[in-house]
Amino acid sequence: MKDKLIQYVDLLFAGARDIEDIKQEILQNTLDRYDDLIAEGRSPESAYRMAISGIGDINEILGQSSQARPAASAPLSRKKEERDTPTKKLLRAVAIGLYMISLVPLIILSEMHMATLGFCAVLGICAVATVLIVLGSKSQEQVSYTAPASPKTSSPRKALCDSICRAVWVAALVLFFLLSFLTGAWLITWLILPVAGAVQGLIKAIFDLKEATEHET
Amino acid sequence: MSIAGDLIRGHTDAIILARLLRGDSYGYEINKMISTLSSGRFELKEATLYTAFKRLEETGCIRSYWGDSGAGARRRYYTITPEGRLTCGKLLEEWKETKEIMDKLLETEEWK
Repeated sequence: MKDKLIQYVDLLFAGARDIEDIKQEILQNTLDRYDDLIAEGRSPESAYRMAISGIGDINEILGQSSQARPAASAPLSRKKEERDTPTKKLLRAVAIGLYMISLVPLIILSEMHMATLGFCAVLGICAVATVLIVLGSKSQEQVSYTAPASPKTSSPRKALCDSICRAVWVAALVLFFLLSFLTGAWLITWLILPVAGAVQGLIKAIFDLKEATEHET
Repeated sequence: MSIAGDLIRGHTDAIILARLLRGDSYGYEINKMISTLSSGRFELKEATLYTAFKRLEETGCIRSYWGDSGAGARRRYYTITPEGRLTCGKLLEEWKETKEIMDKLLETEEWK
């Protein structure tokens, strides 16, 4: 039954970091309590149950020590992030939508033999979409500024993600125009843009996933 | 009991400091003392106790050290610092004042 108790405390602290001391201390106290209960004539089962219930809510401890210093401000920054995510997501979604739609005027206007005008429309829409994305990342920078002690991992990583995405778009646009003007195969080359959109989505997803797993641990 | 428990829990720091004034001790021993002194009517959860230790250590009221006691059990002992003594005295004064005020505020003829 004592092994079970040790196992229980081990499980209780599983996944938390820098808690060897805390675990040791709480385990010892719990074992002491168990021994006392047995000495009082309790059955091992009931002593086990009582010892465990004596531990209480472990989150009280983990909340303030396992995440050490950043924990004090982490809830704040996370809350801010949560609050900002919907707008950010919306901005991103609208931007990606605009990127996609941007091709429509090109196709329609090319049919009407006004490809140049179509281009201007594409560029205009893409510009609007890019502005939206930049705005989205701006509001996020403000968040990391107002919460300076937010976990270091989050903001530089987001910034990296954003700059990669921007680079992808610039490369895609350059490639698009280069190939289009060289080959004149507008009907095919436009595919580069949706592909770039997809790549961007993929990159964001990968970064979000990484961050999510980090928050969990 | 639960309301009284909450009231007592609000004074966890003072209780721990007062217990440590009597000498160094470790978590379970302090909790057992609390249980005995309250005739088994009150006891702290490990988590609450630990959180209080941590808080008191951070404010410099107590210090801790690892000690071995007989059967290979490693225990973390706590000792009160001079600052902790001062804090304890202050908390005791506050409690006396609170008690006095509460006694006055709750005084009625009916239950006498």
